[in-house]
Amino acid sequence: MLLALILIPLLTAAVVPLAPKRSVGQVALLGTLVALALAAYLTLGRDWSGPDAGRDLAVSAPWMPELGLVFKLGTDGLSMSLVALTALLGPICVACSFTAVTQRVRTYYGWLLVLQAAMTGVFLARDMILFYVFFEFTLVPMFVLISLYGSTNRKAAAVKFFLYTFTGSVIALAGIVYAAWFNANRVDAADPVAKALVAASPDLVLGRWTFDLASLQAAASRFMSAETQWWVFLALLCGFAVKVPLVPVHTWLPLAHTEAPTAGSVVLAGVLLKLGTYGLLKIAIGLCPAGAMAWAPTIGLLCLLGIVGAGLICWVQTDVKKLVAYSSVAHLGFCVLGLFAFNDAGVQGSVLYMINHGLSTGALFLCIGMIYERYHTRSMREIGGLAARMPIWATFMVFFTMASVGLPGLNGFVSEFLCLLGAFQAGDVWRSHPLTVGGTGGNLGPYVAAIAGTGMIIAAMYLLYMLGHVVFGPLREPHHDEHHSASGGAHDAEPRLPADLTAREIGVLAPLAVLCLVLGVYPKPLMRMVDPGVKEVIAAVEGARTQRPATRPVAEGDAGAAPALATQEAAR
Amino acid sequence: MIGGTLVTLLAQGPIPADMGGVTLAHYLVVSAVMFVLGLVGFMVRRNLIIMFLCTELMFQAAGIALIAFSRFHMNHTGQTFVIFVLTVAAAEAAMALALVVLLFRRKETLDGAAWRELKG
Amino acid sequence: MIEKIGALWPEIILFAAACIVMVVGLSPTAAVRRLCAPLAGAALIVAGIVAWFTTPAAHGPLPMLPLFGKTLVAGVGVLLALLLAGTPDREYESAIARGATGYDPIRANRAEFWAFFLFSLTGAMLCAGADDLIWLFLALELTSLPTYIMVAVSTGRNRSMEAAVKYFFLGALGAAVFLYGFTLLYGGTGTTRLFAPAGEPSIASILAAQAAGPGINAVAMTGLVLSFLGVCFKIAAVPMHFYTPDVYQGASSAVAGFLAFVPKAAGFFTILILAGAAGWWGSSPVDAGGSLPQPLHQIVLIVAILTMSVGNALAVVQSSAKRMLAYSSIAHSGYMLVGVVAGPGPANAPYTSNGVAAVLFYLLSYGVMNLGAFAVLASLERRRADGSADEADDVNDLKGLCATRPLLGWTLVLSVVGLLGLPPLLGFWAKLPLFTSAISSNEIGLVIVLGLNSAVAAYYYLRLASVALLESPELTNDTVRSSPFPARAVAGLASAVGIVLLAAWPLNQWAMQGGRYQRVEPLKAAEGTPPARVDAGAPAAR
Repeated sequence: MLLALILIPLLTAAVVPLAPKRSVGQVALLGTLVALALAAYLTLGRDWSGPDAGRDLAVSAPWMPELGLVFKLGTDGLSMSLVALTALLGPICVACSFTAVTQRVRTYYGWLLVLQAAMTGVFLARDMILFYVFFEFTLVPMFVLISLYGSTNRKAAAVKFFLYTFTGSVIALAGIVYAAWFNANRVDAADPVAKALVAASPDLVLGRWTFDLASLQAAASRFMSAETQWWVFLALLCGFAVKVPLVPVHTWLPLAHTEAPTAGSVVLAGVLLKLGTYGLLKIAIGLCPAGAMAWAPTIGLLCLLGIVGAGLICWVQTDVKKLVAYSSVAHLGFCVLGLFAFNDAGVQGSVLYMINHGLSTGALFLCIGMIYERYHTRSMREIGGLAARMPIWATFMVFFTMASVGLPGLNGFVSEFLCLLGAFQAGDVWRSHPLTVGGTGGNLGPYVAAIAGTGMIIAAMYLLYMLGHVVFGPLREPHHDEHHSASGGAHDAEPRLPADLTAREIGVLAPLAVLCLVLGVYPKPLMRMVDPGVKEVIAAVEGARTQRPATRPVAEGDAGAAPALATQEAAR
Repeated sequence: MIGGTLVTLLAQGPIPADMGGVTLAHYLVVSAVMFVLGLVGFMVRRNLIIMFLCTELMFQAAGIALIAFSRFHMNHTGQTFVIFVLTVAAAEAAMALALVVLLFRRKETLDGAAWRELKG
Repeated sequence: MIEKIGALWPEIILFAAACIVMVVGLSPTAAVRRLCAPLAGAALIVAGIVAWFTTPAAHGPLPMLPLFGKTLVAGVGVLLALLLAGTPDREYESAIARGATGYDPIRANRAEFWAFFLFSLTGAMLCAGADDLIWLFLALELTSLPTYIMVAVSTGRNRSMEAAVKYFFLGALGAAVFLYGFTLLYGGTGTTRLFAPAGEPSIASILAAQAAGPGINAVAMTGLVLSFLGVCFKIAAVPMHFYTPDVYQGASSAVAGFLAFVPKAAGFFTILILAGAAGWWGSSPVDAGGSLPQPLHQIVLIVAILTMSVGNALAVVQSSAKRMLAYSSIAHSGYMLVGVVAGPGPANAPYTSNGVAAVLFYLLSYGVMNLGAFAVLASLERRRADGSADEADDVNDLKGLCATRPLLGWTLVLSVVGLLGLPPLLGFWAKLPLFTSAISSNEIGLVIVLGLNSAVAAYYYLRLASVALLESPELTNDTVRSSPFPARAVAGLASAVGIVLLAAWPLNQWAMQGGRYQRVEPLKAAEGTPPARVDAGAPAAR
């Protein structure tokens, strides 16, 4: 089942190059719809709120035993919700490109489908190297999509995107490998704690080379000292923070977003950024909770910088797409802030934020793409007052902007509120930790939440400002569009679009709008679905807080080399 | 590094083997001097033949050291080695002269600096 | 003695084939002369099979290295034979065919080329099985001497001559340096035997005894260091890397592909043998089994860091695809040295902590991936206005290759993305064991440098890949055309298939076998048959 979720888009991608040029889009749409149906069946067809929900779906096959690799897929409510989001955006991305992409269509849909497969794989992988393989492989299709189908500055944007993320993730790989080495050489399978762990869940592999996610998390979170966790977490943070992106390493995002084709932006905002937050949530925190706690105040600070700084940058943008891109940085700031509050509200809100941001920002990019297709500009200086020309579009635009601002009743509000609540209640989680960089004593939560709250106001300001310019006000249309339509012969390949949205475009936006509304009014089912995953994270952090110092002084570093060697020998 | 080694060797004093008052260290110093001369010559000269002779000098430096070590250790492996080194050196000489002749035919000069079609 | 010859069957076959090829090439009939390449290929296949079945386990620390090395060289050699098809002087051949000129045995150098090709591979095989310094020296020279000639005759142009002379002179310098190193190693231990059955004196056991006692003596250590630095020439590592871009650019693309693999393989076999003789004893026993003896460890570490950084940094600014691949070849040597630094771990270490196995697997992967890239370059030629053809070299010659020649284009893309180390292609599965083994031996800084270098490398590999995959072919670009040798494209395709499929388990296992390590027992003073002077008389031991 889970394998099918990855294989369906992949096989469709293999079929696409063989399809006749005219029906390439339809074939791709069909494939993504099948994947969506399967994802919907899996998501809606069962109760995900139990702790072991989805365990029966797990797939495991030997892969490269020499390297300790297992081809292991698994899922839980949290992963499944993100898989469902990916599957939902799949057909939407395909459908929104029917008119936008007219050249090299086979390559385009092929890579789009490969991208979907890779992203689904990231959420389902339960082996660290498998995770890493999928994580890295998302770069290739995205690179191709940006550099082939993007706008003027696309090559630089694609290279920057690739290099930033690749550099980060290579360092993350070092962290992953270190954790695996730690499990193999520093954890004694005969140790009572380890025995208890294995007794509780017999799948765990302790004291041997493996990259199994659950085993490494069990080993590292129990046995690794806080100092080492601090370093390993830093390595993983390098990989995931670039993807999120957190502030100092966010500069690739606006460029990539601006240059990417519409579907690329939708996938980028909708799912690709979530790989970073998902990695932090599911991998990094579970692997080194103590390290995560030590880093939490610093990360909180970076999030604040992102929320406020990127918000202010948004305000001065004239390119609508760039504005929404920077708003992603700010929004993801909220998401990570909630995550690192390590309490129910925060983490819950953070997960919801991932989904909601994917829906509303994805939809915003779709709206902007529709404008770009018609006017070939995104500059607020050239377009304005489009409500008069395109009422249906304007309705959607206002709706999704409101969802993004966090209007109560729409989806953005719930998650943003929960994230802020979580940060407010973060309490002594952010109390200064011996290893914290830049941490201070005392309860920072309320202050952080207050500053982040201003971010909400800033968001409202720039988004409404954008809305006021583009949707309302006097009608302004770029002149050269007239030339463009007059000399339509030169653009034979591009079908002319009516002034307002076509039925296809409405069909693309409507499901997103419905979901935004449903999740805004009644988020309970989604919250129940992700709850076990959230509890897991909180339990890991709680465990690290109460357990420290480690239950058993595990030898570490050079000083403890000799005893560790002895234990290793004994383990054989 | 070689210098440091030599100092240690020299400090060791004469070795009682019947080397007629000449110790291992003497041979090694000669060999090291030849080696370094060859190396320096290779770096500073531009005439192809001289450069080749410099590498030959380095080969023969190794040969001298080998024979001295052979005597010092009282076994024949070192001397056997030298025979092979000489053979290889002869092969290299043949090849070097062939290449140099080829080059000379094309440009009528033996100056390495005349050949700069490849940057770097 | 006789069992030593028994271990040499593959080399004997190749040597005999080389002699036969030389004679066959003298035939006045063109059809017979054309048999040279098929003969060489067939000999390699036979030698590979023979090597697989007859190579016995060696004495010494890396018993399976000969088996792995010989089969690897033969296997990649077959692909190289395909790649080199038609290399020297095909203009001359076609001139004879047209009747424009008569047959002149002195000018028809095809046969020598193929003989030298086989000699060089023989040398690389001999390196893998070497257990004596003299043998090792001769094998290294046998590997490299023919390559100088191959470079010189690879195209008929001045550039090849110049490249050959550069290569030869720096090669002679490198040879002199490692010869001096071997000499000092002999001086410091009193024997040229590298490995011997337990209890008999050999460099490995004597060094082990010295390491266990007063420390490896200064002469022997200087010898080890000089040998390593000399061999750096063969693997194109930093202090001796200057020739690489010029020589690769001057030689024909096919020969450059050969140079990027065969001398490098021979060099890495040598480095592994020397390091095995020095032993990964180390003064800082991490539980993974220690490191190389101290000064050597530091030097290899520094050379590794410099090599990968310099290679990658300079590759970024190149506009010639061959020079770019040359610098990337330097960088890859740096990556492989990481495995040498990491060492094989404790006896029977798992694949993940065995750096030697990682090096061997990387060597194999690099051979395959690099061959793909060079095969694409060798399969393209740029036709000039005057009708003469030259090999494609500039990055712009590759524009839109995936659109115009999909097979070549995708081969190139797969090769460079593989070299970049992006999962799930072969390059990643080669780099992962380097990561794990280096972390196992506590070289975390080195791992970070390796990671950052991979990221820098991404920049220029991406450039190559995106030129081929994403740019549209220039309309005026029909001056770039495929070369008339389909065998080269076949070699490229084979490596492309390998890049996708070879990551599977049997090769991992094979590399793990090849990297099996057993510690050398220190020689006990009483057992030393050659007089006790070997130990006591080691000059600087006092």
